[in-house]
Amino acid sequence: MKRLRLAIAGLTACSGCQLSLLNCEAELPQLIEVVDFHYFPMACSPALLEGEYDAALVEGCLSMPHENVLLLSLRKRSRLLIAIGTCAAWGGVAALKNGESRKELLQAIHVCDRISSSGYSPQPLHAFVKVDAVISGCPPEKEELLRLLAGLLRGALPAPIAYPVCTDCRMRENLCLLTEQSRLCLGVLTLGGCGARCPSMGVGCEGCRGPVPEANLEEALDICQQKGYDRQTVIDRLRRFCPEWKS
Amino acid sequence: MSRPGKIDILTRVEGHGRVELVRKGKRIVDARLNLHESPRLFEALLVGRRFDEVAEIACRICSICSTVHKVAALQALEQALNVRISQQTNLLRQLAVQGGQIESHALHIFCLALPDYLGVGGFPALASVAPLELQHGLKIKALGNLIQETVGGRAIHPFNLLPGGLGSVPDAQQLQRLADQLSAIRDSVTAMITFVSSLNETLPKLPALSACAVSGGPPLFGDRLATSTGVTVPAGSAAAWLNERNENNTHAKVSRFDGKSVFMVGPLARLNLSMPTEYGKLLDATSITDSLKARIIELHQAVERAISLISQLLNEGLRKETPSTITPHAGEGTALIEAPRGILLHNYRFDERGICSAANIITPTAINQAAIEMSLKSLIAVNSDAGYKNIKLSCERLIRCFDPCISCAVH
Repeated sequence: MKRLRLAIAGLTACSGCQLSLLNCEAELPQLIEVVDFHYFPMACSPALLEGEYDAALVEGCLSMPHENVLLLSLRKRSRLLIAIGTCAAWGGVAALKNGESRKELLQAIHVCDRISSSGYSPQPLHAFVKVDAVISGCPPEKEELLRLLAGLLRGALPAPIAYPVCTDCRMRENLCLLTEQSRLCLGVLTLGGCGARCPSMGVGCEGCRGPVPEANLEEALDICQQKGYDRQTVIDRLRRFCPEWKS
Repeated sequence: MSRPGKIDILTRVEGHGRVELVRKGKRIVDARLNLHESPRLFEALLVGRRFDEVAEIACRICSICSTVHKVAALQALEQALNVRISQQTNLLRQLAVQGGQIESHALHIFCLALPDYLGVGGFPALASVAPLELQHGLKIKALGNLIQETVGGRAIHPFNLLPGGLGSVPDAQQLQRLADQLSAIRDSVTAMITFVSSLNETLPKLPALSACAVSGGPPLFGDRLATSTGVTVPAGSAAAWLNERNENNTHAKVSRFDGKSVFMVGPLARLNLSMPTEYGKLLDATSITDSLKARIIELHQAVERAISLISQLLNEGLRKETPSTITPHAGEGTALIEAPRGILLHNYRFDERGICSAANIITPTAINQAAIEMSLKSLIAVNSDAGYKNIKLSCERLIRCFDPCISCAVH
């Protein structure tokens, strides 16, 4: 099998998507044999973009001009560019207040100095480049990353997920937190694939994987309202990870 | 083939930074650390959010340190809202924090730092030059993650740790399994202490650094800061004492203390303030180049502490509990806790509806910037003739001794 030549980069983020890969402790020794982690500054030196890549795995959103330069270079050099994690896919937590002026946010905590004033409101990768596949999640599941790499080694991309967290929850035969226990859970609007990690431990889905395709927002808001959660509360929660949710 | 792209960034650290060397004629006269990562403005993002969202959002500051951020945020908001937690929750949170300590130290030692000592570029090459150590290291790291996952529900961004308690309490069997696995890796951790102590340090010995750490509680926890110079600062005055300022060369605020003193924080600083006698001869706890040894010693301590926390939990018997009910009201709280890289402070104010009206988060790497700056100057002073490339490499290596977490620092 041809070794997979990868570029793995983090932009504005917490490095959690890259760490999820490094958290595949049992699989790393095997991965080392089939994957060339050529550009992976978080874990390998030197950080030198060189030649072409089978794929670029990019974590994080963009909020500084130098990140655009890096992203364009990664796009140009890579056959496939894959958004890893909710920040890369949707903007994520950093984009939580994209509706407000960045300058004012900066002034609230930083004296607006010369360097950081060049930044802009966090944007997902697809705002700037073509994205070939998305692995969502804050953080993504390790298994999804392993499946991605296994697919790439065989020249394929993983099938996109199109079902909500509720599907995962039903598979695990959990009681519904929202309808049966009147607790706020965003699972019905949120992309599945996490095995309903949070609801399975009695914690309502916080929407960390972003919107599921064809989410019925109005219906979900109605159910939440019947359970005592007003529209604005639900919308605010949804926007914690994806600023594109509109009321 | 396209041309190689010049990427001038620090590698094998979390986040984005670079070293800038200052030349005078042909000589390098100074080196500066520039943390140029984009600020996500967490303190501003948190304002306006309800108390029960604060810890979920704040833990996203950093993945490696997400458990400790979560616990610090919970402690601060619980203090502000007068929330009492059970002894069981308290012990489980401590256990999760020890899990984070194990994972973070193992990641640093066996994936990020070891390549410096063995002359290779990263963990993939370790598979050929130090396969056994890499194998041990990954096993230890995995166990740190398993602890965080068992208690927190997930190794990164642990959702099961909630204001007032836990979503689900792990059962006795799960904890027993963790204890068994921890006991099983004890020997390999001890073997790794010997291995790490045998590594050859190529950086010159640098002037001693004063140390600062959290004290007054169980390991890694406390309610005040203590320094190796004899200063004690209660949690409520810690932010003022740390004295964070905006400076031009970095996106992270810099702690300047009283304007003259410089303190390091982290594993070496913690050992400096409370050295277990059996390790006293193994390292010099004022010398930053001994920090890898400090980390492996702490890894050993964390394994032992996790075992004892589990045995205490099992002895007291695990009970199903639901999180305490919280009635929002106005208040302010400050938590101090030791993250893997040093002192972490979370401070929040809430209005009468329980909405966050102010947040202040001070992270270890931000605090360490002054100590890094001072160490870099000392390194340049003894090494200024080594040539640009060598100096740059030793500067990067020195910075790695602090195991910087730049996403935390800038947040």
